[in-house]
Amino acid sequence: MIIIGERINGMFNDIAEAIKNQDPTAIQEWAVKQLEAGSHYLDANVGPAVEDSPEVMKWLVEVIQDEVDAPVCLDTTDVEAMEAGLEVHEGTAMINSTTAEQEKLDAILPLVKEYDAEIIGLAMDKSGVPKDAATRTEKSMQIIANADAHGIPMENVFIDPLILPVNVAQPHAPEVLATIQQVKKLADPAPKTVLGLSNVSQNCNNMKLINRTFMAMAMAVGLDAGIIEANDEDLIDTIATAEIILNNDVYCDSFLEQYRK
Amino acid sequence: MGLTGLEIYKKLPQTNCGECGPPTCLAFAMQLAEGKAELSECPDVSDEAKEALAAASKPPIATITIGSGEFEREIGGETELFRHDKTFFNEPGIALTVSDEEDVEAKIEKINALSFERVGQEIEVDMVAVVNDSGDADAFAEAVETVANNSERTLILVSEDAAAMEAALDIAADENPLVYGATSDNWEDLLALAEENDCPLGVKGEDLDNLAELTEQITGEGYENLVIDGGARETAEVVAQQTMIRRLALKKKFRPVGFPTITFTTKEDSQEEAMQASNYIAKYAGIVVLSNVLELAEMMPLLTVRQNIYTDPRVPVTVEPNKVYEIGEPDENSPVFITTNFSLSYYSVEGEVPEDGYIIPVDTDGTSVLTAFSADKFGGAKIAEVMVEETDIEDKVSHRKVIIPGHVAVLSGKLEEESGWDVLVGPREASGIAAFISQRWEEELNS
Repeated sequence: MIIIGERINGMFNDIAEAIKNQDPTAIQEWAVKQLEAGSHYLDANVGPAVEDSPEVMKWLVEVIQDEVDAPVCLDTTDVEAMEAGLEVHEGTAMINSTTAEQEKLDAILPLVKEYDAEIIGLAMDKSGVPKDAATRTEKSMQIIANADAHGIPMENVFIDPLILPVNVAQPHAPEVLATIQQVKKLADPAPKTVLGLSNVSQNCNNMKLINRTFMAMAMAVGLDAGIIEANDEDLIDTIATAEIILNNDVYCDSFLEQYRK
Repeated sequence: MGLTGLEIYKKLPQTNCGECGPPTCLAFAMQLAEGKAELSECPDVSDEAKEALAAASKPPIATITIGSGEFEREIGGETELFRHDKTFFNEPGIALTVSDEEDVEAKIEKINALSFERVGQEIEVDMVAVVNDSGDADAFAEAVETVANNSERTLILVSEDAAAMEAALDIAADENPLVYGATSDNWEDLLALAEENDCPLGVKGEDLDNLAELTEQITGEGYENLVIDGGARETAEVVAQQTMIRRLALKKKFRPVGFPTITFTTKEDSQEEAMQASNYIAKYAGIVVLSNVLELAEMMPLLTVRQNIYTDPRVPVTVEPNKVYEIGEPDENSPVFITTNFSLSYYSVEGEVPEDGYIIPVDTDGTSVLTAFSADKFGGAKIAEVMVEETDIEDKVSHRKVIIPGHVAVLSGKLEEESGWDVLVGPREASGIAAFISQRWEEELNS
């Protein structure tokens, strides 16, 4: 499981404050903390209340990579902010994200190619999040075909089938699971799959229980990556356990500790 | 194994005309991948697309039958890079070369003697490669005839000369030999001969590119009964080529290399040659051709390697069950141990029996003591029946005391009742056998 730590996001007050004051302390603390918990990437989102997002994204990437040696997942809908982040990013960045809209694909995929980055493709277009797995898969295929046409290797494409909160959009969860399964068959080698996991439990009771249960279910159908709360120990335990049950890691009695190494 | 949506899409005309039903070529490709549409519904489909779809339904590596009669074997047909993922299916053929310039009869006699029995199976060198070193068609034909008359083994006819090959095939075509080999220079002639005689054709490339080019030309003529050779002869290069061929065939469905391979060893020293051949057996060869390993002591480990690599890892390895195994030089006072025929269980016990003794592995379908016990395959009645009715243990020992594994102490009552023997409950682990025997056996024997 590729773990993308979700915490550096302007939606959280401490990060929003840090950005406002140009004080990297909180950001760098979370960078270290999430990596120690097992994150492979750090999601970076400037948040909604920001004026000049290209500048802020650039600053965010720089302060993160000043502190830690880890790739950043540039989480923005603003193509200029994305490019600003890519320019200063060291190593292979992940771009979060594009949809299946042709204009978006045409704008973002050349950047992905130019910076040899990885790309998260959302299985949706202008008309919103599809209801069923078939339409989600169709949108995924549009992203995959376009990425292939730009010469982007399938291993660098992460399809996000878009999970919605289970309290208000309950029928979506099984469709998302079916989509993950189908997306893995669209190309060979298969594209990767990713979920913004915490979305499944927004405003629900027992959020963490919902998150980790859905994580295990999604891993069973082939999920490769998750933008998750990396410091949720129980969630990491669930991931480690699922890796064992899926025969991805070799079992040993100390598998929970080994997974974190 | 079907094609993926993306692979199909790339072969579609990209016209988005909608005449197939779905609005775009992309949507049509996805329907094809899911088996919900027919390619014929597309008005502009190319031959290339048709071929690709047809190829997708074929197995990634063709199965080729070579030889006839007792030594006929299938090679190729593999689906794995690593045996632990499923299994390797068809053991490679092991061939020894015979030159048409040497004493053919004498060498065949040696080759015929390379046979032995292992775990109940007769194992032998099963192919002879007759090599046209003389360059002379008559000498080649004569050598082939001598081999055919003195051995049933599958023939590999090694000559790039069409006239020599024709003369050899006049004699041996009925035995379904491998015609080796077609190169860029002679492939049309050799293909004609192979086709006419319906024999597998060996294709020899200078390198992988040249090989793929050649097989495409030959399959383009409609002949697919092929065994391929990437041309490498150094161990490291051969292993690299074998790996690339297997990967391309399985992972990329690259048809031009979707055939079993033939490899040739080069080492003069027979032990080095055996090691070289072991590499090729482990790394995907369909046929391994050797020249110098003519002693059974050197051939035996090689044939054992082949047998071991091609055992099915999904099936537990077993020892022949329900018989008495003698450890050391046991007599009528030696202890008798019961275990199961799972080879790990059996050999754990065998390795721990300190002096002379008897072991009876009971048939539990190759499962361990506790697995067999919990699956009702290792009960007192069954063990008694095996001891009394299937073995002659009662004639071998004068006592009537049998030792069972400590983990299944609970079945001792039933075993005593059914067999009439005294049951001694041994240690739970075989590692305790030595102590158990030294402390208890004499006393128990005399009690």
